[in-house]
Amino acid sequence: MTKYNVQATSSSPYIHFDPDRMSFEIKGESYPENCWAFYAPIFKWFDEFFGQINGDLVEIDMEIIYFNSSSSKTFMDFFEMLDDQAERGKNIIVNWRYHEENESAMECGEEFMEDVESIKFNLVEFTDQGVA
Amino acid sequence: MTMFKYYEEMQEEGVILYFNGPVSQSVVESIAELMRSKMRAEEAGMGSVQRVFAVLVEQMQNIVRYSSDRQIDNPNQVGEMAHGQVVVGREEDGRFFVACGNKINAQDSGELSGQIELLQTMNREELKLYYKERRKAPESASSKGAGLGFVEMARKASQPLAYDIVPVDGSTSFFSMKVVTQ
Repeated sequence: MTKYNVQATSSSPYIHFDPDRMSFEIKGESYPENCWAFYAPIFKWFDEFFGQINGDLVEIDMEIIYFNSSSSKTFMDFFEMLDDQAERGKNIIVNWRYHEENESAMECGEEFMEDVESIKFNLVEFTDQGVA
Repeated sequence: MTMFKYYEEMQEEGVILYFNGPVSQSVVESIAELMRSKMRAEEAGMGSVQRVFAVLVEQMQNIVRYSSDRQIDNPNQVGEMAHGQVVVGREEDGRFFVACGNKINAQDSGELSGQIELLQTMNREELKLYYKERRKAPESASSKGAGLGFVEMARKASQPLAYDIVPVDGSTSFFSMKVVTQ
């Protein structure tokens, strides 16, 4: 399974999935012109990835400064896909990371947390000094 | 000719930024980023900076997607570009507002006003539930994700969304919307 790597732009996040190190990271802004086209490859990547693993812990770090409504919809679809996988026995954690001053990111994280069922969804607040 | 008259008028109306022209994704990014830096420099609260930024992005991306005044079939163009207006300013009481205007297909007027009028009747908790419901609903093929953007803006607003649709000619109408943020 190959790595998935995308550099950040002003409206789209840095994405780095490394199956060898079991490290999964999405970080930055999210309001690309065509949200679905931007994120479709990660759905495809995870679909293939989950076909190849069993009980290994998959911990996904998401740190999104701002996201638009299309991204919000796409993230919900993403969490639902992860929920489906968790129901089928995969061990999945999402860490929703936000800066202590980013109230909006915190509230959005809470609302995602309310809407997922089988994955573990953590809200992780950090400060300029690191995780609180 | 002089631009001074417009300059003064805008200042009196509390306008901070006024844009009228072709909007593309790169214009969305530049203007949104510009407003974010300006508001931060003026030490506006992070919450109010984020709300203005969010509403501005939703409104301008709606122009890019839905304004009916656009160049079609330009093979050299990357992404879409469409004509519209956007204004950011302050009410007399200091709250920020973001307004937009663009042409739409007259036949879409009914659905658009129906959507906004429904949101106007909802309180904060109802808006939250409706947002979550819309977010979980399977996407209809024709929509590029609009609907949810309006709910998002209604949630960032301190009063019901204000809008107006006037006919331009048989096939075109002009849509305006103003969001006063919290």
